[in-house]
Amino acid sequence: MSFREKIHWIALVGLLSAFGWYFLNYPWEIANSPKGMYTAVWMLLPVTIIFLVPMVAGAAFFAIRSPKDADLKEDEREKGIHLRGTHLAYYPLAIGVQLNIFVLINGFNYGYAVTILIATLVIAELIRVGSQLYYYRRGY
Amino acid sequence: MPNSFAWGRSYIIIGVATDPMAQTPFTNDIRMLRFLAGEMTQGDLGDKVGVTRQTIAAIEQGKYSPSLEVAFRIAHVFGKPLEEVFQWQQD
Repeated sequence: MSFREKIHWIALVGLLSAFGWYFLNYPWEIANSPKGMYTAVWMLLPVTIIFLVPMVAGAAFFAIRSPKDADLKEDEREKGIHLRGTHLAYYPLAIGVQLNIFVLINGFNYGYAVTILIATLVIAELIRVGSQLYYYRRGY
Repeated sequence: MPNSFAWGRSYIIIGVATDPMAQTPFTNDIRMLRFLAGEMTQGDLGDKVGVTRQTIAAIEQGKYSPSLEVAFRIAHVFGKPLEEVFQWQQD
């Protein structure tokens, strides 16, 4: 397994852990209020920590363990994998933004808007990282 | 024809034919050529060509179709013309 694939696995676990915690613990009863919006924004702090700490620790661990792999430049196959993953992630991102416009027009504001934007980003990232891992496993 | 040649070629064709996932429409003799080049590893070949070991493995298994540049680079490493390394199979 290449260094970049390992980093992708860590990112996938980090995304699921951090945003899994966020969506399970968000106080939905106050979502449509200014307090709901501030809570959503405040909760991004622990989410960032939960996501970044294993990413940095994992990247450092694998870089120390196999520095040659970590120094390798992205080759044509990996570039293709990354482009395909990013392309697939565009669709949920576009749909999520349109959904957010729809809910804003219909009176769901504050925490709902922030949370839907976060969910849009998370789903797009999960599709990007997940599809890239699929292509890594399949060969291309 | 040495045994290693026949073994190498048949192994690759079987490998390509039995994998239902993405397949290239050509086979290759990279595994056999590595063997004949002093049992060169996939990592060594990757270093010479400028790709990762995993990319060489994917090309060998017929899972990834390399760019023309990488295909020529691989052939150049073994000192062979392109058609001796890659053979078109699908009509």
